[in-house]
Amino acid sequence: MFIKKMYCISPQNTYNNEIFEEGTEIHTESQFWAKEPRYKSMVPLNLLRRMSKSVRMGVGTAMPLINEFDDIEGVIIGSANGSIKKSISFLNQIVEYNEGTLTPTDFVQSTSNSIAGTLALMGKITGYNNTHVNNGIAFESALLDALLLFDEGQVKRLIIGGVEEISQANYNIDVLRGMFKKETVSSDNLLSSGTEGTVSGEGAAMFVVDACKSNDSIAEIVDVDQICFPDKNEIVDKIRSFLDRNNLVPDDIDALFLGYNGDARTDFYYDYIQKQIFQQQSVFVYKNLVADFYTVSSFAVWLAANLFSGKSLPEETMIKKSGKKINKILIYNHYEGTQHGFILMSAP
Amino acid sequence: MENNDLKLKLKNQIIEYLNLIDVEVDDLKDDAPLFGPDGDLGLDSIDSVELLVLLEREYKLKITDPKEGRKILEDINSMVSYIEDNVVSD
Repeated sequence: MFIKKMYCISPQNTYNNEIFEEGTEIHTESQFWAKEPRYKSMVPLNLLRRMSKSVRMGVGTAMPLINEFDDIEGVIIGSANGSIKKSISFLNQIVEYNEGTLTPTDFVQSTSNSIAGTLALMGKITGYNNTHVNNGIAFESALLDALLLFDEGQVKRLIIGGVEEISQANYNIDVLRGMFKKETVSSDNLLSSGTEGTVSGEGAAMFVVDACKSNDSIAEIVDVDQICFPDKNEIVDKIRSFLDRNNLVPDDIDALFLGYNGDARTDFYYDYIQKQIFQQQSVFVYKNLVADFYTVSSFAVWLAANLFSGKSLPEETMIKKSGKKINKILIYNHYEGTQHGFILMSAP
Repeated sequence: MENNDLKLKLKNQIIEYLNLIDVEVDDLKDDAPLFGPDGDLGLDSIDSVELLVLLEREYKLKITDPKEGRKILEDINSMVSYIEDNVVSD
């Protein structure tokens, strides 16, 4: 499938592509908060005031695309936690008010599929509508869903995306289970921190994708795959078989986008595949810009698609440069070393 | 509580419960309709449920009759009157 246009909200200035002109912003907080655009011009205030942050970011990135392309036939979203803050607020109300009268807004907004549902209502897209919530491979699953729909010839154009918001309650729980760093780490030192844990981020990336290539296609998403709870050798085998089914070998890949997140416990997977099968490729990273969240691979796709469109990525994203012209990119991202996703992209 | 203090408190609660963006306390007129085409706020049926929840949680007033609710939620004055008439002081 072919990316036609996209929007991204992230902890960097990505909404209007300022990041490619002005460079990156260094974050020193324990959470990298998304830099949201002004929504008032695109969302009626009466709707905006009820929206959770994830719905807001989803609408903010998708509605300009929906408004521009009136023949979108379906919406597929990956969002592990959806509007988690509203969910927790709703659950707290149930306890606090002893299962009495509850506010409808928190209930309406408390589900993961409230993003896709809102887009369907606002954009009058009455076709296929699905949300994938399987944690660290939620976005990869959304891609697979789209690829299958296109493969079956059911649709010609979709909007797909990944959205995640930080919830303080979930963050606190994740801190207790050791997911995030105890010390404060600046974003420019995150990947070299050498300590356990990472940093929490959030954001949304939306893409209009077509079944067929057109003159203004930006990039092709060729294939996607995933594996859970593998050891490092199984990762290598998985990548080989993934490439093989696309008639490729590791040397055909020109650049890697790797999900290094500065966690000393799990970054070894990325080192290992480079050592074993990818020694000649350029290597890009992205979590030093936006931190880690379940659907962060959607940001990697956005970044890779921008590279294909001719933009120069911020220098902080490149950790290894090869002389090869970049036509094929493999995005490899894992979440806590348990869920591993692979996205194969190509120049259109 | 004095009538004006109650009005101020209620207006702040309405802004908070309905998450009214760019609306200040002074923007809420005492006698302006909260709902319908003549209202400045553009509130809808979901907001009416939010206001009923507000009355129940903040003032322990439970409204079960929709007709009664419609009158009570007409404007700020009607809400304040209902609270004054029905809240039992500690």
